[in-house]
Amino acid sequence: MTGVSFDFAGVLTGQPGQWLLSGFLMTIYVTVVGALLATLLAVLLLGLRIAPLAPARGLAIALVELFRNTPILVQFLFWYFAAYNLLPRSFRDYITAEHPWAVLPVGNVLLAPEFIAAAWGLGVFTAAFLAEELRAGLNAMPRGQKEAALSQGFGHWETLRFVLLPQALANSWQPLVTQYLNLMKLSSLASAISLAELTYQVRQVESYNAHAFEAFAVGTVLYLLLGLVLGQLLIVFGPKPVGARARRRAVKANRSATAAAIVGASGDA
Amino acid sequence: MPDFSVITQNLPYLLWGRALEGQPGGLLLTLIMSLEAGVLALVVGVLLALAAWLSGGWTRRILFAWADFIRGIPLIFVIFWLYFLLPSLFGVNLPDTITVVLAIAWFTSAAVMYSTLAGLEALPKGQVEAGLSAGFSRTKVLVNILLPQALPNVLPSLVGVFISLIKDTSLAFIVNVPELTTVAGQVNNRTQIYPTEIFLFTGAVYFLLCGALSLTVHLAGGRRARPA
Repeated sequence: MTGVSFDFAGVLTGQPGQWLLSGFLMTIYVTVVGALLATLLAVLLLGLRIAPLAPARGLAIALVELFRNTPILVQFLFWYFAAYNLLPRSFRDYITAEHPWAVLPVGNVLLAPEFIAAAWGLGVFTAAFLAEELRAGLNAMPRGQKEAALSQGFGHWETLRFVLLPQALANSWQPLVTQYLNLMKLSSLASAISLAELTYQVRQVESYNAHAFEAFAVGTVLYLLLGLVLGQLLIVFGPKPVGARARRRAVKANRSATAAAIVGASGDA
Repeated sequence: MPDFSVITQNLPYLLWGRALEGQPGGLLLTLIMSLEAGVLALVVGVLLALAAWLSGGWTRRILFAWADFIRGIPLIFVIFWLYFLLPSLFGVNLPDTITVVLAIAWFTSAAVMYSTLAGLEALPKGQVEAGLSAGFSRTKVLVNILLPQALPNVLPSLVGVFISLIKDTSLAFIVNVPELTTVAGQVNNRTQIYPTEIFLFTGAVYFLLCGALSLTVHLAGGRRARPA
């Protein structure tokens, strides 16, 4: 590649620079909304998965297996091209109308079909993985915890909310962080349903001024950086394992925690 | 009401594309790409794990840094990079299908390396000591004693990695390689009014493929392990 000179100013300033900034922010927005949605749905799935009612458990197993064993890209296409158009006309009209409050800095519109399909798709897909990690955390807990709570008069959901979930969350935080980081990386595939996030904008810059190397390099660095920062934030502010033995284990694990979380190793798509 | 006649009418195209004209597509191409990338990722990943086990210090650190880097960026960027780098390395444009297979294999080999290495390091230390004291070299111990035991142990997690790989081949959609997801998108563009039927069918095919694999592992007694 002799004779090739790099022109990073060509992608970091002017129109391309604005596109990349806007795409980077969009990636953050869709990651945050998708992660919140995923967390909520995962708790619902987990509640169904450990419910006393067999049909509820069956439903949860079916949903988890369905979302884990199909590519997220096909799920995106389904939500965007099929499911969204099955929504009531009035709702879709409301979404496509102008909403100044839903426009975030650099003009990113959140109340748009692309954003809704992407955030929902990321949320549902990741929820299936989060629910399985949480269940593994629950299974690692002594049965007595649940029995004690139930005998104290807690209901099914209360036991889950106040007794089991806080411990499961702390015990399986490391693999959960991996899943959240995977969600962030998977948001790159929302470019296939025209969400103008970072990957979409990198390709736009590439076709605008053919600065392929520079655009890919900037995109790569931004994803790595976002993964590092997000992973570090989630581990520093996340719940700490319960109990003395778990704490000792955590101290040992923490040394390589962020690196391991970023690698994730999972990378399921 | 769903009208699945769009599926029956396009079934040959969805299942094998233009295979009769010598250009396999659809599900057939998904299977071909998965097998090619899977074999490549397995070979490279196991070799990397062996290298990481045998070497200490910097070599090991570089291997891990490489694997962490590749898993730290979205797979689609690995595909973009290969599109950009391969022509300048080989001087010719490789077929798109090959580029995507190489990218997915490269990406997946990192997960294979982690799984295999975990399997090697989970074996009792005495195995190495016994092998060494019996006069085997470290390489011999690794290849003849440890690896044959580690591979069956990590098989469930390798199948998990392979399931992810099958799903990852759908990314070929973004660069227009005509595997299952891409041809489904083409049929959707052509017919316009059957997205529900088309993408439900596509999802069902992947589900049968990946679900069957994950069920096999489950029935064989291993749980579907989290890759690495």
